[in-house]
Amino acid sequence: MSVVRETRDSVSNKPLGRADSSVITPEDVLKLTKIADTYLCEPDANIYEIDFTRFKIRDLESGAVLFEISKPVPDNLEDGGDKTDNDEIVDPNSGRFVRYQFTPQFLKLRTVGATVEFTVGSKPVHKFRMIERHFFRDKLLKTFDFEFGFCLPFSRNTCEHIYEFPTLPAELVNEMIACPFETRSDSFYFVDDCLIMHNKADYAYNGGTAT
Amino acid sequence: MGFLTVLKKMKQKEKEMRILMLGLDNAGKTTILKRFNGEPINTISPTLGFNIKTLEHRGFKLNMWDVGGQKSLRSYWRNYFECTDGLIWVVDSADKRRLDDCKKELFVLLQEERLSGATLLIFANKQDLPGACSKEELRDILELDAIKTHHWKIISCSAVTGENLLEGMDWIIDDIAARIFTLD
Repeated sequence: MSVVRETRDSVSNKPLGRADSSVITPEDVLKLTKIADTYLCEPDANIYEIDFTRFKIRDLESGAVLFEISKPVPDNLEDGGDKTDNDEIVDPNSGRFVRYQFTPQFLKLRTVGATVEFTVGSKPVHKFRMIERHFFRDKLLKTFDFEFGFCLPFSRNTCEHIYEFPTLPAELVNEMIACPFETRSDSFYFVDDCLIMHNKADYAYNGGTAT
Repeated sequence: MGFLTVLKKMKQKEKEMRILMLGLDNAGKTTILKRFNGEPINTISPTLGFNIKTLEHRGFKLNMWDVGGQKSLRSYWRNYFECTDGLIWVVDSADKRRLDDCKKELFVLLQEERLSGATLLIFANKQDLPGACSKEELRDILELDAIKTHHWKIISCSAVTGENLLEGMDWIIDDIAARIFTLD
């Protein structure tokens, strides 16, 4: 998980997400050699009401929290005003994409802990698995593949992966800093080997530098 | 090569261990997990699900699972038994009223076939509290000497001060490693 893996197979990006409801499996996404062009499932594929409520990244050496974002709990949302009068069309993909902006120092970290917190709806979830793939352009930097297994109904769960930052060649690091948002990731979530959620993120590492 | 040997070989390759932390609610499982991993422990609420940490420690990849201990959650514990190499049973040494409950739940777990190969560490937690039972007292009250089916050890600790957490983890890792990774 903590190692940089190079793609060795030359399988190209086959069209995965057909218009029909064909099931996407872990094997399908592990074959991808670049970032997916589209979301490979619909937002409503998440029939288990799995909801990510917190992301956090900390530096194990200094103990500093480098990044933390959490969803307000529903009670607070109500305080935020009534949205029923709003005619705006809500982008169904808005909750599926995150943009991260880091400083170049971020790429010099040695050991980081990445925490996700999620809640589960009224149905128990079996064989919950996350596959996250990070690319710079078409180069695979890192694959996380972790099976949470069973999740209790109405549960709130956390998972922190503590890992050594992959050692990247200086040239690649410089390119990543120079080319904001060309580092991207796909996070795929499966229940019983069937894709139920797909989130995307992109990353810049030129924060705090003159542009 | 038997199936078990093949399995052991596979695990050996990755040096991966799955450690499950269980115990009654408010025993301090989450606090131990956080403390061990250098996280602040000032705002910990009851676990209504699980907390997982994956980390490298002494060249091993540890997957540590802390599952909520409230009574309503205990029937779900069995969903987490599969492939467990080590079981950490956390005891609130100062909660004398519930030690009987604690003993019962522990012995139910030890009947479980899927945990039969797991090393058992009992953390006598909350030693920083006045009136906490010593590990010798707990050994008697929990009737630990009746455990013949598992490698086990009781270690007194405090998640708040950090006392003995590392010692406990090192013991369970050594015991698992001696069973799983020493075949060649």
